[in-house]
Amino acid sequence: MRRGTFVRWGVPIAAAAVIGGAIGAGPVIAAVSGDPVLPERSAEQLLADAAAATSKSQGIAPMSGTVQQTASLGLPALPQTGGGSATSPLSLLSGSHEVKVWYGGDEKFRVAMPTQLNETNLVVNGDQAWYWDSATNTATKLTIKAGDGQKPVTPTPQPTDLTPQQAAQRVLSEVDEHTTVRVINTAEVAGRPAYQLVLAPKAEGSLVQEVRIALDGETYVPLQVQLFAKGSAEPAYQVGFTQVTFTQPAAENFTFTPPPGAKVEEATLGEDGEKAEERAEHAAGVADKVKVVGEGWARVAVVPFKLSDLQAQAQSQDGSDEGNAAAMFDTVLKSATPVSGTWGSGKLIKTKLVTALLTDDGRLLVGAVTPEEITKAAGVK
Amino acid sequence: MSTADTDIGAGAPLPSPAESRRTPGLVPVAETMRTAERHAPEIIASPEPPPARGTWAFWRLLGSELGLTFRRPRNLELLAVLGAVPILIGVGLKLAAGSADDPEMGGILQDVAGNSLMLTFMSFSFLVLLLMPVAISVVAGDSIAGEAGTGTLRYLLAAPAGRTRLLGVKYLNAVVFAYAATVVVALSALLTGLILFPGGSVTLLSGTTVSMADGLLRILITVGYVGAGMAALAAVALALSTFTEVAIGAIAGTMVLVIVCQVVRAIPDLAPILPYLLPTRFTDFDAVLRSPIDTASLRDGLLTFGAYIALFGSIAWARFSGKDITS
Amino acid sequence: MTAVTQEAGAPFGAAPPSGDSEAASEAIVTRGLTKRFRGGQVAVDALDLAVPRGSVFGFLGPNGSGKTTTIRMLLGLVAPTAGEYSVLGLPPAHALPRVGALVEGPAFYPYLSGAANLMRFDAADPTAQRATAKRRIGEALERVGLSAAAGKRYRNYSLGMRQRLAIAAALLGPRELLILDEPTNGLDPQGTREVRALVREIAADGTTVFVSSHLLGEVEQMCTHAAIMRTGKLVAQGTIASLSSGRVARVKVETPDAADAARVLGTLGLADVRAGDGEVTAELGGHAPEEINAALVGQGVAVRGLAVERPSLEDVFVGLTGEGFDVDG
Repeated sequence: MRRGTFVRWGVPIAAAAVIGGAIGAGPVIAAVSGDPVLPERSAEQLLADAAAATSKSQGIAPMSGTVQQTASLGLPALPQTGGGSATSPLSLLSGSHEVKVWYGGDEKFRVAMPTQLNETNLVVNGDQAWYWDSATNTATKLTIKAGDGQKPVTPTPQPTDLTPQQAAQRVLSEVDEHTTVRVINTAEVAGRPAYQLVLAPKAEGSLVQEVRIALDGETYVPLQVQLFAKGSAEPAYQVGFTQVTFTQPAAENFTFTPPPGAKVEEATLGEDGEKAEERAEHAAGVADKVKVVGEGWARVAVVPFKLSDLQAQAQSQDGSDEGNAAAMFDTVLKSATPVSGTWGSGKLIKTKLVTALLTDDGRLLVGAVTPEEITKAAGVK
Repeated sequence: MSTADTDIGAGAPLPSPAESRRTPGLVPVAETMRTAERHAPEIIASPEPPPARGTWAFWRLLGSELGLTFRRPRNLELLAVLGAVPILIGVGLKLAAGSADDPEMGGILQDVAGNSLMLTFMSFSFLVLLLMPVAISVVAGDSIAGEAGTGTLRYLLAAPAGRTRLLGVKYLNAVVFAYAATVVVALSALLTGLILFPGGSVTLLSGTTVSMADGLLRILITVGYVGAGMAALAAVALALSTFTEVAIGAIAGTMVLVIVCQVVRAIPDLAPILPYLLPTRFTDFDAVLRSPIDTASLRDGLLTFGAYIALFGSIAWARFSGKDITS
Repeated sequence: MTAVTQEAGAPFGAAPPSGDSEAASEAIVTRGLTKRFRGGQVAVDALDLAVPRGSVFGFLGPNGSGKTTTIRMLLGLVAPTAGEYSVLGLPPAHALPRVGALVEGPAFYPYLSGAANLMRFDAADPTAQRATAKRRIGEALERVGLSAAAGKRYRNYSLGMRQRLAIAAALLGPRELLILDEPTNGLDPQGTREVRALVREIAADGTTVFVSSHLLGEVEQMCTHAAIMRTGKLVAQGTIASLSSGRVARVKVETPDAADAARVLGTLGLADVRAGDGEVTAELGGHAPEEINAALVGQGVAVRGLAVERPSLEDVFVGLTGEGFDVDG
């Protein structure tokens, strides 16, 4: 090797280093400047402050930003479903998704989910709400049933459910005697200093290592929720802001006029059509049959379940979401390992966060627990 | 070097050992390696051209390169194919829209049928996946390897074109071609759209409508963005081009990389690396179709392109400036 | 081998007639120039070359002896592994605008015309003036006799026309040094003659011409100096005359009285007398052939024939390289 060779190749190596540095700069800067920037708080103080900040009359401060949701649950590769399924809830189980949110206060908000050359939007302005789907060129006017006094809720189970606020609330309700809680005051989310509320399950059989909820250091708005599985440094599930600004978004974000040529439909929320009622009845029926074994984080749900039922359903409803679910279930089952014990025998599916056991005597056990715990639960008849 | 000197001293009756150690006018290899490419020859008093002429000479070589690229039948055919695709898409949509009011027709297709400007975005969304990368790889991948293959590279360098200078000219030429291809697609789509479909306000993906002038501005931004993306791909192809003497190898290599990236995009488990892949960023021009324009997405895309250009440009330079030209 | 080294060294040490040993008077100087390719193959091994200005320098050697690699190094195409070198007193990269070159055959863009091809290479030279390009291209084409075919696509050129176009490309600017690698390759006898005439004409203008060839006859006819390469090493260099004079001439006497003739030659002081069947040979040394003939006749030796055998460059070459040489080409 000649001397000049090293000098020359130093240039691309330096370029690679600079680029690598720029990509990794976020964490690095956070690590360098990440010493306690926020005053220390106990969990109770933090929760109280957060509750106070969000329950004030004006609610959460106006803001806008980008929310990213990343799931790496360790599921087997899911079958590719047909067009338009990018916004289907199933697709959220793997990969990374991004939504943009604008919140203007006073019941004004907009959530947009951009996908390649498509976009779905939910624009809510007081009692007016529009749902826009560019893929079908359809604008749906949503009328929120007056008199309920309820805050507007999103329609059908859309990914828009998963804003940090809602996810945080969901996890906060889990806090009880089964959980250790601590606070980290050196976190940084979307470039803002943040408190991290760390909830760690006490149950040893749980697959969940800990749940981290990041609250903005200034506004106490939940910025991020992370779910860590045991033995994994990367979160198995994460939803949070990658970019956020606490300023009043432009007013045109909260007004929507159906574009010319678009199909306009109407739907009323609250009396959500017969299908929703059916679903609710069905859900209630299932809930009756569900049995819970164990406590806290180590809870295991036991549901009567026949594989043949699902397959029959799949055939009758081919192409629908249920059909897709069945197809997905088939794929998942193929990767299941047969297990047996004193409780009988069945097929075990293990992911990073969830273990499921389908017993041959027609029971489905699901829980965020280790396989040992679930087979123990299978023994409880 | 000292050993070589000693050999001469022993074998041939040189005037004196002192003289044989350093003959005037002789330049040690190590020194030439350092000075040859990098420094202006200020030490040597010779009829060197004034610096201003060097700049002109650079543009002259670039002009020659562009003339070669844009007169070459193969490259013109590539541009013609790129220009024909929007016409085909436009006519196809016109026929589809005319034959039946299909309620199942997708939103973007309906948008195209509803507004003349949308055909441009539709065409780009299709062409950036494969066809435009093919055209750009052909020109950029051929740039050094093609000259090496025909042997003209040795004459260019002996002329002397200068290695860094030649590489710079070759890359700029590929960038101009990348933008030419982008402009050809945009103009063809725009003209086809204006002839076949109604004008007027443009419906964005977000469901809002903007004026036609605003729409044209957004097409201009798209051209700038897609052209930059193709310029980044050209840097990759140029780098591969310096590693081979077979042009088709560099072209095929670039295409394989593009196709591998497209395959990776279909694998959900590899989602975390997607933002760093070049082809992922090509389609991000749809940020201009949102309200407000997703500038963060465009900025990230441009930063990615810049990183690719810096990395692969420097690899091309490191390789080419030290390469033994044996073809 | 030692003898060879000394022979190779001798012309190097022998200063040019002017006595000027300044390196600047040399068009090309290399010292210990070595090229080892990746994989360890040594293409050029410690080459010490001195090409005087104004000379027509023949660079001889069988195919694969390192001639082309040397030329590529002189043109800055290949980086040497070791050694020093200068072209026109400058590092090769800086001298190139004043050097015209033909390396390993012509290479042009097939879809361009001859004139357009020359315009392309002229554009690559940063010192070339665009304003004068048309005129210079016209002159270069005129010089190689391609004016009529200037507008024809290179694709349709014959082999000889291609070779001449390559020479025209080397003559685009005012050159102080012309490096021609196998310039008559692929040319018919008429073309070969034309190239030789052209080289002589160029040399007459004071341009140094460095011609590599594996054709001995070509070098003998065109060159004032020569160097001989063998497997990457320089085995001899100097003027054509000094190369040939390295070998001694022998006198050959055809006679029925071989023994008597041998005795006479011995008394005359000729060395290495060898008597054979009907003939005697000896080194000629400083003797005149007519003097030897007179002595033999004076001593009553019947002389049927007397000849002086002088070694040709070919003999020198075969002696040095130990290889057969492609004489006719």
